[in-house]
Amino acid sequence: MKSKSFLTALLILVVMFAFTASVNAGGKVYKLGMSLAITGPTSDAGNPYAKGTEDYFKFVNETKILGDDTIDCTIRDDQYKTDVTKRNFEEYLDDGIVMYLNYSTGSTLGLKRDFEEEEIAVLSASYHAGNLDDSNYIFLPIASYSDQLVNLAEYVAKNHKGGKAKVALFVHPSAFGRGPVSDVEKAVAAGLNIELVEVVEHGKDLDNTAMLKRLMSKNVQYVISQTIQSPVATMIKDSQRLGLTASSFGEAGKLTFMGAHYTGGNDLIALAGNATENYFWITAFNITSVPGEGTTKQLALAKLFGRDQKAADSHNYAAGIMVAQVATEAIRRAKAAGLEVNKANLYKMLNGMNGANAYSPYTTTGPVTYSKTDRMGVDMLQIYSVQNGVFRAVGEPVESEYMKKIK
Amino acid sequence: MSYFFQIVVSGIVVGSIYALAALGLVLVYKSSRVANFAHGQIIAAGAFITYYLTVSIGVPVFFSFLASMIITFFLAMSVEKIFLRRLIGEPIISVIMVTIGLGSILDGLIYLTPFGSENFSFPVFLPQQPLSLGGVSISWTQLVGVIITFILIGGLSWFFKKSTIGISMRAVSDDQFASMSVGISVPRVFGLAWALAGLSAAAAGCIIGNITGLNFDTLHAFGIVVFPVIILGGLDSILGAVVAGIIIGLIQQFSSGYLDGNWGLSGTGEVMPYIILVVVLFFKPHGLFGIHEIERV
Repeated sequence: MKSKSFLTALLILVVMFAFTASVNAGGKVYKLGMSLAITGPTSDAGNPYAKGTEDYFKFVNETKILGDDTIDCTIRDDQYKTDVTKRNFEEYLDDGIVMYLNYSTGSTLGLKRDFEEEEIAVLSASYHAGNLDDSNYIFLPIASYSDQLVNLAEYVAKNHKGGKAKVALFVHPSAFGRGPVSDVEKAVAAGLNIELVEVVEHGKDLDNTAMLKRLMSKNVQYVISQTIQSPVATMIKDSQRLGLTASSFGEAGKLTFMGAHYTGGNDLIALAGNATENYFWITAFNITSVPGEGTTKQLALAKLFGRDQKAADSHNYAAGIMVAQVATEAIRRAKAAGLEVNKANLYKMLNGMNGANAYSPYTTTGPVTYSKTDRMGVDMLQIYSVQNGVFRAVGEPVESEYMKKIK
Repeated sequence: MSYFFQIVVSGIVVGSIYALAALGLVLVYKSSRVANFAHGQIIAAGAFITYYLTVSIGVPVFFSFLASMIITFFLAMSVEKIFLRRLIGEPIISVIMVTIGLGSILDGLIYLTPFGSENFSFPVFLPQQPLSLGGVSISWTQLVGVIITFILIGGLSWFFKKSTIGISMRAVSDDQFASMSVGISVPRVFGLAWALAGLSAAAAGCIIGNITGLNFDTLHAFGIVVFPVIILGGLDSILGAVVAGIIIGLIQQFSSGYLDGNWGLSGTGEVMPYIILVVVLFFKPHGLFGIHEIERV
């Protein structure tokens, strides 16, 4: 009887040992958290963004990019509500995340102090330059909205024919929209050869006739937008109806419309149809209507995980992949350096992404460079314009000159 | 001078669409004294149904438009029957809370479809060249929107004034218990009010969606955007909604046209309607056409 009990106990021990050993053989699991608007306001951007991140981490785990180690990234919908984002973030901390992926400008600004206290690196989908003020842990994946708008203004200054170009800004009535205005003003004060005639804060307008006619009466030729697609769609449709839209860049007596990252992409074409023709858009992401090695990989990833064509073609899908790529690369570098994968070391790895160690994801138009004093990732921005219903590249990716002067 | 008239035309167009979007709120309030916070979701649903029928099924857009109004008519009637009928006689605030919950449920249902987080636009079905006269232009979408608005509002005004059911609805609006005592079916009236609100919401959704593109957040926001219209108009007055809608549309356009860009001002079109609303309510607390009820004890 005694020997039977002994054998049973031994068997249990063997099974437990075998189970423990098998877990260890499976490698380490690195926990990450992401909170974003999969539903609710701006979910047209957040939804494909989440899909991009989810797919890339699945790809990393399935193709063993980190060897036997895996990434476990929990993605939760916050419906664009900062209180929900904060709750998600706190729960992720309890779960022991080593890096956090955030979304909106409001929640990034709202949780800035929490990120500092927790000393955790954060990649945000908001490219608001103000995110970086008084912060050491927020990293912008690409150049800020300020860089984007100043870059567009520089393009206007360089390519406008006949005197000083008259420009109006069309912005969202929030920190997200207003943020870059002062930087454009500073660039103009620093010698950027445009005249900033007016800054328009839009509402939920059904008709922009009065605004457009007013801009025309002030001889404005360029409208640069920093908002989301929907108000831009209404504005350019009104402009088309009134016959005010330029058929080519800078056409005299007409309006050329331009905009930052979240104003453009296929969503704008979906909303405004042929009124988007000749719309100029700036971003740091490769887009599938300009095929290349990066977009081929993006489309292959989307196909691998059964995404529909609309998601696969979305620049927000690319943006979601990109933050997952940067996070994965930081983990890979920490492992390669023989460091423990934790908050502090990932922060260190991100800050080391510069010079020869800059990281080039396939989703962007330039390399990601971070340092202790520069937490904006991709500096090289690409201008696209709609030609025959799709966005096409205009020239090569460029970095803003005046942002360097005014920083 | 054409600038001035263009702003007048734009203001009337925008105001008419506001009036149409507000009509459903007025109808529900008129019959049941309830502010429907799920109205924006019904506006969006109407637009998406029209889009789905037109693009996915291939129904001509005019018939899709009619079909969506019929579908939302029955959809809103069903919603009233399932969720709200059991609350007849309960405190108004309870019913209002249910409409807020209902809005969340409809949000959730729409987010389960691609319409929740993707953008679309109706295929072009009207001439793209605007109608112009003396430097004043109006698009076909806007013109058709205004015509539909006035047909619907005219029809409903006639319905409330002349038809037996319409008069029953007005009676229920005045006093539910007195109406029941004379044999009017209050549940039926409530159902019909919701159904008509659904029908008008679908029409508004299609017109707004054709102007802004089909984005759920943009569309359902109009359920809230038009609240100042019904407050200014007097909550339960169809004529009030029309007049207030046009007033607010004109204020927005004139503010945008003459104030914005001067003296450092911007975005006044969003603020001025509220300022005017406060001023009007200061002198007429029940709105321009609202009924001031006096109860004698």
